[in-house]
Amino acid sequence: MLGFRLSAEKPPQAHRVTDVVINRFEHVYEVDPALMTEHVHQQAIPNWEFNRIVENRWEHLAWMHDHFAESVLSGEGLLAEVEAEG
Amino acid sequence: MATVALLDGVVDELTAICGPDHVFTGRSAVFNRARVPAPFPVHRWEEHIPSAVVLPTSAEQVSEVVKLANRHGIPVVPRAGATGLTDGAVPLRHGIVVDIKLMNQILELDHENRTVTVGPGINMLKLNEELRKHGYIYPDDPASYPCSLVGGRIGTSGWSLIGARYGHTRDLVISFEMVLPTGEIIRVGDGGGPTVRKSSSGYQLKHLFMGHQGTLGIVTEATLELVKRPEAEFSMFFSYGSYMDAWRATGELARSGVATLAGVVLFDEEKIRYLRRDDEAYIPQPESVKAVIACAAYGNADEVRVGAKRLLRIGKASGGAYLGDEISQGDWASRHDRYATPQHGRTRDGQVALMSWHCEDAAIPYPQLPAVREKWHAIADSLRERFDMFDDWGIFAYTNGAFKPWGDYLTEIDIGIWEMKWDDESWAAWVDAKRELARVSIEHGGSISACHGACRAGEVDLVPTELGGGFEVMKTIKRALDPNNIMNPSKYLLGQAYEEE
Repeated sequence: MLGFRLSAEKPPQAHRVTDVVINRFEHVYEVDPALMTEHVHQQAIPNWEFNRIVENRWEHLAWMHDHFAESVLSGEGLLAEVEAEG
Repeated sequence: MATVALLDGVVDELTAICGPDHVFTGRSAVFNRARVPAPFPVHRWEEHIPSAVVLPTSAEQVSEVVKLANRHGIPVVPRAGATGLTDGAVPLRHGIVVDIKLMNQILELDHENRTVTVGPGINMLKLNEELRKHGYIYPDDPASYPCSLVGGRIGTSGWSLIGARYGHTRDLVISFEMVLPTGEIIRVGDGGGPTVRKSSSGYQLKHLFMGHQGTLGIVTEATLELVKRPEAEFSMFFSYGSYMDAWRATGELARSGVATLAGVVLFDEEKIRYLRRDDEAYIPQPESVKAVIACAAYGNADEVRVGAKRLLRIGKASGGAYLGDEISQGDWASRHDRYATPQHGRTRDGQVALMSWHCEDAAIPYPQLPAVREKWHAIADSLRERFDMFDDWGIFAYTNGAFKPWGDYLTEIDIGIWEMKWDDESWAAWVDAKRELARVSIEHGGSISACHGACRAGEVDLVPTELGGGFEVMKTIKRALDPNNIMNPSKYLLGQAYEEE
């Protein structure tokens, strides 16, 4: 049972994004592990921990917006208005 | 002043003043108060370790500690959040560190005068959590927003991310209480009572003590400006195909006259290259992106909305491409807290090394930004070629003037430093490079620092050049207010004030 749980938490196969960056989860980027072999080594972490870090980062950013103002205006929405106005 | 170690009985006297739980001489207490995030010669750590640390809880205790130091000839160095990017809180002559973190209370919230009076140890984020309940914000917003303290902001004369809209620390602190180097307690402001914003009575002493870097006393209380909490925030990021196109657009945005404009930032090509290595917002950007402009606005929702549309029109008309809400909102939110950013430096062969973030700052006139940028990168490149422990993380330029943001720019070159590699040779080369960066700033009509303070090793050598006769006045003031050279001695080259006697 534990072995099954651990294998389910193994990160998916990476694919290359740039010459120094790989990607395992959508919108989440990692330094190419080949660049972390001498002075700093990558840690193997389970998916849940990976996702927790990403979610915490988004929570932090949302908290910061809320901390500074009551609302956030959308640039995409306003730009559409600007373009419609000509 | 030769005395740098504590005399017998001094710890007992400090304990009698501050109480037994507020005086520390143990290794962790003193070693951890030897440095700040500014580059630090870790191989010479012991030169900067204080002999004792006190955490007073009142102005009277601070005053008694300073008087004691005068009696015994012991240096005193004040310390707030210790987030400074210059060396203000780093002891140069050991002595007593006065850590003001316990003086962190909200003392008075004055709704009629729209001020809040606080202890110097309060953090802006925590203060604003309380002020939000009343519909206010204290809008002093450095990149160290979650961890820096009001007392340090005054000691630095700090710079705020949203200073174009709301002003910087000097504009937002109305008055403050100081313990002078001889122990007297005074209050300085523009003049009049503690909440008066504009006075023509006498000298403007508030500005004398702004940015004192611990050389003229210790702040023990401050009365701060309150503004209405913003109804709306707007941020936009535009990409450009060349630095010069982005530089021209930056000037247009800064001169737009939009009243809610809080700041405009220009990231250069090297900055984008750095962000493309590690930052999810920039990695997917095409290679054609050579520079990025960030812009933010705050205020009443209807006013921000109108201003934002004007800013978007300028961005579009200047050839920029909007990078989308995810980057614009996400990256802007991260700007309030740059001290939490992981520091992945790269050695020359591309390997990741854990490097400390350091930024050399200056105030540079807008027309000079392109020339300064080229010279600064050349200095950083030379450093990296000689020592595989430095990494050029690019340059940004940020509108610098409060309320009228079109003149000069806070300009910073971010350099990653693998601090565990320091030795005397690399440290000397770094100090030389800092001096050269400062020299370029002065030669182009700028100032050594817009944000951090100019007392770091290397650049401090050029403070007399920048200030001219003003530096002679600084020395005269220092000698008059601090006759025994107690407060942060040797900082800002002010030891010279006593050599001439």
